[in-house]
Amino acid sequence: MTHVLVVDDDPAIASLVAFKIGRLGARVSVESDGEAGLAAARQLRPDLVVLDWMMPRMNGLEVCAALRADADPAVAGVPVILLTAKAQESDVERGFVAGATDYVVKPFSPRELVSRVTAALPAGALTP
Amino acid sequence: MTTLTTAALVATLVLTGAVLLLLAAVAVEHARRGRRLAREERRRAELTPLVYAALDDDEDGAAALARLEAAPASLDDLVLDLLPQLRGADRAALGRLLARRGVVTRAAADLAARAPWRRGRAAALLGNAADPGQTDALTALLADRAPDVRCAAARALGKAGDVRAAGPLLRALARSRRVPAGVVGMALLDLGTPVLPDLRAAVTDPPSPAAQALAADLLGLHGDVEALPLLLGLVADARRPAAVRCSAATALGRVGVPTATPALGAALAQTAVPALRHAAAEALGRIGDDDAIDLLAATVAGGDDAVRAACADALAGAGEEGRARLAAHAWHSGRVGEAARAALSNRPRPRDARVRRAA
Repeated sequence: MTHVLVVDDDPAIASLVAFKIGRLGARVSVESDGEAGLAAARQLRPDLVVLDWMMPRMNGLEVCAALRADADPAVAGVPVILLTAKAQESDVERGFVAGATDYVVKPFSPRELVSRVTAALPAGALTP
Repeated sequence: MTTLTTAALVATLVLTGAVLLLLAAVAVEHARRGRRLAREERRRAELTPLVYAALDDDEDGAAALARLEAAPASLDDLVLDLLPQLRGADRAALGRLLARRGVVTRAAADLAARAPWRRGRAAALLGNAADPGQTDALTALLADRAPDVRCAAARALGKAGDVRAAGPLLRALARSRRVPAGVVGMALLDLGTPVLPDLRAAVTDPPSPAAQALAADLLGLHGDVEALPLLLGLVADARRPAAVRCSAATALGRVGVPTATPALGAALAQTAVPALRHAAAEALGRIGDDDAIDLLAATVAGGDDAVRAACADALAGAGEEGRARLAAHAWHSGRVGEAARAALSNRPRPRDARVRRAA
């Protein structure tokens, strides 16, 4: 079963995203800060990570860079979708420099996010 | 025992009793509040999956929506917390839910409330609810006597997403009861690309210089190539206020088309308007074509201190070619070398071409 990790310190957003992705048939884990998110990604080796930027303890960019630098290829290569309120052009650049696969700006459309999650995973990985 | 001692003892007992009663009352209220919060939390936990399910266009969604219409009032807070984070069809669905529950009607009535905080709160709620039927009422609030209410109305119009608000927002920049440009700008950005025709119109036929400058800024942020001739005209027009020309120059840089390089080069030579030269230098750095780099490199060597620094910064951010040209100046001992070294040390990494493509 496809496994998605959602890391967001806003419980309303985290639970909405988890609910929407869960409806696609994925197993979803949720973490509420960057450090816990990184640890979960290393331990659970999810198929995709949806990652907030501004979080306590470790921000999303640091998590993303740490994932990309991980010795485990499954962790280093995991698709990461940044879901953030930081909407400046330079923010988007920084997000991709840190290794994000995709970038979604808040306020966001849950339907669009679900489409991007589906697109970032191998074809047929999710079956709504 | 004297009468005085007895009286003191009685007073002490009465006071102790009163304190104990007070403590008991506080404890009871605390427990009551805790139970109320826990009950509220349970209600929200029960309602949350229903709200999420209501966002789906299937039978489950319709059933969840029907159940939510009769849900307790705590649902409204839950939906209002969620609304600002969302956009698109899901946000519209939640807005419709609030309308069906009468929340929008109550907020609309509050727009005429005596207390400014109530008017402001109602405006914010209506913006989040994105009900197009409230655009006129929110537009009227742009001239409210309270500055905070005017700002709340502008933000609400941006969030509500009705493009008819673009004109009134731009006009709100120049009234005696004005709305700050930053607030209007964010609202117009929230309205997205559908406002581009209004922004172009505000450049050609501006309600005020402030509106013209802001419109130019926003066209640049949108990267609107269609506005290129308008922006080129503004930069070249010496009769326009300097702030308007600067905004147009910055916008041309953001659009990033080399067609703008000659006009920006001419602006860079406008020694009478230092701010325009600064904006032109930044814009040329953003465009970063060969001609732009030549112009910047020439001005680093010959401009005044402020413009030299701006050109050096622009070259440092203009990729490998720009940095190479800057490095050629860095060994100079005078102010040219100083500016080049400062710019190179401030930008340790050039813009990554891969990232620019991705962004």
